[in-house]
Amino acid sequence: MSYTPSPAALARIERTLALYPEKLAAILPVLHAVQADAGFISHEAEAWVAARLAVEPVRVREVLSFYTMFRRAPGGRATLRVCRNITCTLAGAGDILDLIKDKLGIGPGETTPDGAITLVTAECLGHCDHAPCLQVNGVDHGPVTRETVAALIEELKAHG
Amino acid sequence: MSGAKTVGLTIDGRNIQVPEGTNVLRAAEQAGIAIPHFCYHPGLEVEGNCRMCLVEIEGLPKLELSCSTLVREGMVVRTSTECVRQARKDVLGFLLAEHPLDCPICPKAGECRLQEYYELHGRYAGRMIEPRERREKKLPIGRGLLLDRERCVLCTRCVRFLRGYTRTGELGIFERGVRSEVGIFDGQPVDNDYSGNLVDICPVGAITADDFRFKTRAWFLKRRPSVCPHCSRGCAVVVEFVAGYPLRRSEKRVYRITARENAAVNGFWICDLGRDGRHDIDDGRHDRLLKAGAPAAGLSWPKALADVAAVIRSVPGPERTGKIAVVLNARLTCEELALAKGLFVTGLGSGKVFFADRKPGAADGLLLTSDRVPNGRGALEAGLELRPADLDEIATSQVLLVFGSALAGHFEKQEIARAFAAVPSKYLFAAHTGPLDRLTDLVFPVAVPAEKSGTYVNTDGIRQTFDRAVDPCPGVVPEGAIFACLANLLGLNLGDFDAR
Amino acid sequence: MVENEVRLLPDDDGSWRIEAYLRRNGYQGARKALTTMSPESVVAEVCKAVIRGRGGAGFPAGVKWGFVPKGAAGPKYLCVNADEGEPGTFKDRLVLLRAPHALLEGMLIAAYAVGLRTAYVYVRAEYAGLAARLDEAIAEARAAGFLGERVFGTGFGLEVVVHLGAGAYICGEETALLESLEGRRGQPRLKPPFPAAVGLFRSPTVINNVETLAAIPQILAHGADWFLGRGLPRDGGTRLFGVSGAVRRPGVYELPVGTPLRTLIEVHAGGPPEGRSIKAVIPGGLSAPVLLPDELDISLDVDSLAKAGSMLGSAGVVVIPDGTPMLDVLHVTARFYAHESCGKCTPCRIGTSWIFKTVERLRRDGGGPADLDHVLRLADGIRGRTLCPFGEGAALPVRALILKFRGELEQAVAR
Repeated sequence: MSYTPSPAALARIERTLALYPEKLAAILPVLHAVQADAGFISHEAEAWVAARLAVEPVRVREVLSFYTMFRRAPGGRATLRVCRNITCTLAGAGDILDLIKDKLGIGPGETTPDGAITLVTAECLGHCDHAPCLQVNGVDHGPVTRETVAALIEELKAHG
Repeated sequence: MSGAKTVGLTIDGRNIQVPEGTNVLRAAEQAGIAIPHFCYHPGLEVEGNCRMCLVEIEGLPKLELSCSTLVREGMVVRTSTECVRQARKDVLGFLLAEHPLDCPICPKAGECRLQEYYELHGRYAGRMIEPRERREKKLPIGRGLLLDRERCVLCTRCVRFLRGYTRTGELGIFERGVRSEVGIFDGQPVDNDYSGNLVDICPVGAITADDFRFKTRAWFLKRRPSVCPHCSRGCAVVVEFVAGYPLRRSEKRVYRITARENAAVNGFWICDLGRDGRHDIDDGRHDRLLKAGAPAAGLSWPKALADVAAVIRSVPGPERTGKIAVVLNARLTCEELALAKGLFVTGLGSGKVFFADRKPGAADGLLLTSDRVPNGRGALEAGLELRPADLDEIATSQVLLVFGSALAGHFEKQEIARAFAAVPSKYLFAAHTGPLDRLTDLVFPVAVPAEKSGTYVNTDGIRQTFDRAVDPCPGVVPEGAIFACLANLLGLNLGDFDAR
Repeated sequence: MVENEVRLLPDDDGSWRIEAYLRRNGYQGARKALTTMSPESVVAEVCKAVIRGRGGAGFPAGVKWGFVPKGAAGPKYLCVNADEGEPGTFKDRLVLLRAPHALLEGMLIAAYAVGLRTAYVYVRAEYAGLAARLDEAIAEARAAGFLGERVFGTGFGLEVVVHLGAGAYICGEETALLESLEGRRGQPRLKPPFPAAVGLFRSPTVINNVETLAAIPQILAHGADWFLGRGLPRDGGTRLFGVSGAVRRPGVYELPVGTPLRTLIEVHAGGPPEGRSIKAVIPGGLSAPVLLPDELDISLDVDSLAKAGSMLGSAGVVVIPDGTPMLDVLHVTARFYAHESCGKCTPCRIGTSWIFKTVERLRRDGGGPADLDHVLRLADGIRGRTLCPFGEGAALPVRALILKFRGELEQAVAR
């Protein structure tokens, strides 16, 4: 059961490879492209990336497991990334996170059973003047309140 | 030596001169000072991750790594100050905090750097009361190697070896921070002929060999240097064996062959063929004289050799060229080959001196040569021709002496049987049991290279003289002694020899 | 804000495009450099301006450029550190959002000064949206002839590649950034060799922070003396100071180097909200040891903060209000470093985790003074012993919290 990127992803990957004098240097953008394409990076995808970059698959796994933004198992349609660092904690991020865990019934690192939302905690997102903040699929939200978060979650559940 | 530039520096008050480009750790070594370290290895790329080798360098505000700092003229290094001692304690403290401390069941006990350094540089009361990381303790990673991730100190020697030397790169480091761990990709385990070196270089009991675990203890092993006889590289090895208490017949003595450093021959490494070669020392050995392939009463070395000498003497002088056939092998030492030449060629005038050896294999571009014998060049240097055995010529002989059992690998069993059957007197001098045993009148048990002393000339012409590493069982004799004895019995003067 | 007209950051997100930037005299510094000055004199000018690196280390940018060997054969690279991850820091985000062309112009000048033709902008993955804007700005600049071949009709050209990270704070350390960019785990390298000699793809490389580069055009357009004069003799220019936490007006303030910390917090950021007071201030991102309320009359420059036992770092000021349990602050701090440790070297890999496990236990089950002493000892085992400055970040803030709030912490853990 091997993996091949979609034609669009393949085109993106080939364009990316041309930007680096060494193939391995393109591994992060290539992995991002694969994740955008397939939703996560499977073992087969690791092997594909390794072959395309002409490195041992173990090199791909090294990189994949080092960085936090790659998913190695299927996740939710939406990723909810909640900052838990200093300014956001001072602004009540702990409370917000508890609320989210309550409403979704999952903990950080987990996905709701209906496949709608994956919840992750993050270190400082660089949005401290809008604390407490979070990201939904990479889009910044902040400052959030219990009310706005509750509404956000309802919307995500409804529309995925 | 050429005009290699040297650098003068002071380490712990000692003034020394070392070649330019030496790191402080090696320079200290030369001054007789051992700086503790885990990740540094002279055969691997420097990483500087263990932080154990930190030392004080005058003029620099922080402690510096001795493994990656190169010597400079006038440098003043201190390796034993309170600051350095505390730094070592702290590194040990960290490593041992996240360590299972299961020495009683760890095969590395007795040769483990954590143990050694705690003894020398630790001696503190441990304070770790938090739950330590729990990980897999017996992960097969290929070639009979097992990885214990709890014991691993993440020195990355194993990863660097497979990337830098074998260039096979099977191992990597996964995850991040304290979760970091060594691993392989699914279905792609360690699979190269230098995998045994990983056990040698692992400073702790993280990578261990399945065939060494729970078999013995490091402190029971005697270690003697030798030269590997399994190809013509002649890698420097260490034979590690148990001795000192009575062994049952055919009980294993040799538990390990490990690598020994020799810059001119094998660097720091040996191949797995050489390591597996320890079976050669203990397995399938002849340990007594045999008559027609079976033990018999009344056999003794003096009598048996005297019988052989008598048979040889019975061949009239002029006929000896065509009637005496000898099969030698290139595992014999230079000294033995000189004796053999003196005895069979010069002394007896035999025109039927052949060589039968292990067949060549593929060279691997690293250490293993295609020639799978240690002393082919030694034979040539002795003035012997490496003539392949000719069964027809053998069949028309009156006396046949076969040294080694490799002949069986070159011909069909029936062909050999037929040829031998035509020879009135045939004698085998072999270390290992084999199909030739029953085809000969007498079998004499001989020593393997680890049980001998002598000289080999390797593929590059480098001469290496080695001492006996393991004692042969009583009744097992090196070929050199046999040649000398026969010469004596035949009244031939072979000149000076050393029959150790 | 700043007295005269020249500012790095516009007030809003609406004037980032090239037309607006050109109306603000955009690309004039680069034009002056590329068409009227030699590379050496550009380096000299930037040295004279004493612009200290704005990423955290505070190393003078001109001096760094000068380390690249002249006439070295083969390619050289510029890496822009847009991996802004220091907690409490959000200024580079605003540069990417509102002044991407200032960054590009600064890159152009740097590339010309050092003699390199390819630049990689390493953008943290969490700023993917901003990276998209940067791509647009690059397209604009290229169309206008400010990037690509023969800029300003000279023989000089520059190609820019935007490269996204993937979630690792340590990749903000320059050699870890190089490792990451080369496609490996973001683990720092031993120095020497330094990146100026052996950097990206083993070639001479300059790594600069986003804000540092974005400030370079001002130096060329208005002169080093002008820039230096806006700040202090050993720390020139204005800087983007971020303020967050318990203040009325969190945000980024572009002020002269040397502005007092108290002025930044109380005058510009409006001070704490009604009825609240300041309990502690982190002056330069989480890696900067905490300051007490009576330590706020300090000049915001690299050397003054260092002398006070803290650091200006990324100039991310976090104001901690009264009533904040410092054990919580200690917990967030310890957790961050344990999570972000790359794992390469022993003291950091195990020390950060041990500190966090201990603080976690203290917060959950309580403990005693001996536990706090133990954490101090662990911090001492880390600092000065590690492969990169992450060790200092992991150790010094923890130390400062315990030393400065010892009484409160002992009470908090007593059960």
